[in-house]
Amino acid sequence: MRNVRITKWYLHLLLFAFPLWLGAINISFADKVSLDSSNWGLEEGEACISCHKKSSAGLTHQWQSSAHASAGVNCLDCHYADQVDKDAIEHEGSIIATIVSPKDCGRCHTREYKETEGSVHSKALSLIENRIPALADNLTGQEMVTAGCAKCHGSKVEVRGDGSLSPNSWPNTGIGRINPDGSRGSCSACHGRHSFSKAQARDPSACVWCHSGPESPDGEVFDNSKHGMLFTANREKMNLHSDEWVLGKDYSAAPTCVTCHMGATPGVKASHDVGMRDAWNLNQPISEKQSLIIFEDGDRRELPESQPVPRRGNEISKLDGSMGKVKAVASSKRRRQIMSKVCLECHSKGFANGFMKQFDNVVELYNEKFGKPAQAIMLALYDMNLLTPAPFDDPLEFTYWRLWHDEGTRARHGAAMMSPNFTWWEGMHLVGQNFYGEFLPQVRELAGAEKADQLINEHVLSLDEHSWLKNPSKPNPILGYGIGKPSHD
Amino acid sequence: MIKIRMPLFITRHVLLALILGGVAGIGFMVFLTEFDHFTSTEAFCTNCHSMELVAEPYRESAHFRPASGVRASCGDCHVSEGVFAATWDHFIGGKDLYNQLFGPDYDDPVIAKLHMPEAAFSAREWFKKRNSATCKRCHVKEAIYGTRPDTVEIHKQDAKDKSCIECHYNLVHAKVPAESVFKRDEWNRMVEQEFDLKRGAADKLLEE
Repeated sequence: MRNVRITKWYLHLLLFAFPLWLGAINISFADKVSLDSSNWGLEEGEACISCHKKSSAGLTHQWQSSAHASAGVNCLDCHYADQVDKDAIEHEGSIIATIVSPKDCGRCHTREYKETEGSVHSKALSLIENRIPALADNLTGQEMVTAGCAKCHGSKVEVRGDGSLSPNSWPNTGIGRINPDGSRGSCSACHGRHSFSKAQARDPSACVWCHSGPESPDGEVFDNSKHGMLFTANREKMNLHSDEWVLGKDYSAAPTCVTCHMGATPGVKASHDVGMRDAWNLNQPISEKQSLIIFEDGDRRELPESQPVPRRGNEISKLDGSMGKVKAVASSKRRRQIMSKVCLECHSKGFANGFMKQFDNVVELYNEKFGKPAQAIMLALYDMNLLTPAPFDDPLEFTYWRLWHDEGTRARHGAAMMSPNFTWWEGMHLVGQNFYGEFLPQVRELAGAEKADQLINEHVLSLDEHSWLKNPSKPNPILGYGIGKPSHD
Repeated sequence: MIKIRMPLFITRHVLLALILGGVAGIGFMVFLTEFDHFTSTEAFCTNCHSMELVAEPYRESAHFRPASGVRASCGDCHVSEGVFAATWDHFIGGKDLYNQLFGPDYDDPVIAKLHMPEAAFSAREWFKKRNSATCKRCHVKEAIYGTRPDTVEIHKQDAKDKSCIECHYNLVHAKVPAESVFKRDEWNRMVEQEFDLKRGAADKLLEE
């Protein structure tokens, strides 16, 4: 009798709990994947698997161990193409496209598609478009663009008349890739095909294959930071394979790039709009705080805060030159708030605010002491026709490029991610050496004593930060001269 | 001694006509066989400049320079086996000769390339209708080994009930997309780019 009662109780519990559990599952699916699962698992796709298991076992194996395989999503579900598609090809009886573009992924992952489509990542190509001719044509050559720049920034994938993808633009998984269907980006840049592992994308190595080197030295910076040190030491505690990955709930041992720039924290939603939390632009000759303009169609652009902030409904130009209606504006302050919320999961408010203040101070120091004076002198030299407008045909242009692009960027990124080594030794230390030891002497050589003195007096010596130059007779034991004498004050 | 009695209508003249006719018939068959053989050679086909253009990529292909040393010439793939079928193929193929003489100037590489997709589509159709018979003259499915470890398995399992052409096309001549996904505009743009022509020039040339 008792047993029957218990069974009944269990049955009731199950009857209540099951719909609840189903509901929970549906909610999480509805959020992640918008296409109903009855659309997955195209029957013809089974034939792909049978043959590819034999002809390319590696990629089939990756897919087999993926979340896609366990959900019943097969090759054709992603590679399916309409015959009118620009890159459609016939393959063993099916019409497919080699490139699975973010738009294709977006058939199911709508939210992620929209977020990446508007993000700074998807504009990685247009962001450097004015640098490409100088770097590619002047300094190197187009072959390098294909094998270098485009590998991270993305290529404009060209479909040739015979249906093949031009080797000048493919293979490519650059994050700002322009796909034959017009969509921008490449999900496989971070979620390597064909496993599309979440864990892989959460690991800093997914970001570091591009975010290293002079323009965004984040791999090196992270490795040399406390956060990077914690990640290396605690990798196995990071729960990288977890379905959800909420900081403080699913892991807490260390943050990765994803944690701060994209990840979920209680109160902060995860987002594939990767630049959304960046209050500063750190990759320009002079850094500016920036607002995020969100257009009605979901597109986004950065706007330096020195420019007037548009209101909702205003029309302003997008990055591609077309006009867009403003839906919302996220100020740098708001962006900083969101980023700081992530910090607060492990740090106190005072700690987080203090760190942000130190970071801002370094950026402002760089701007005021080196960035602005150097830029003002360069512009004056161009105006005086002492420099030709062509980039990189004068030693001074290389020096200036190194100053802001290589060394200045390292200093600013080092400060942003708490790597003292990169802030100072690899960053500002080199900025100082360059500015005083190469840039100014080269300006003197180029402009002649009289004009150079005028420029340097106006833009450099007038600033308090450079007043030490007016005191040349102070002893300098750091260089071994005047040891024992009172040191530089 | 048995004496074979000829029917009365077989006169000396009839007998002579039969012998002469028979010899002439054999001669004709031999001629056809030889003719089909001769007109199936690369040397004969590439007599036309337009065919020379088609043959260029062929000479880079594995059918021209195979590891086995067995070279497949034009006719080995494009002319059916057997004297009657071969003659028929040559007869039908005569339309190409007609086009060469009276059609557009196929000797012009631009014209040849512009018209190439249609030629490719009809050639593929021809292979399909014959269940890739000419491929099978040399290639025996059971003997296909390949360099990949699982080529045998693919041909045993996944290529079941398929003929060669269904998977293997674009092996020999310049690459042409499948008819189902072919885009004339894109093809014309590619030809313009290849030959440094103005945009739209290809469409005009096709209309002429």
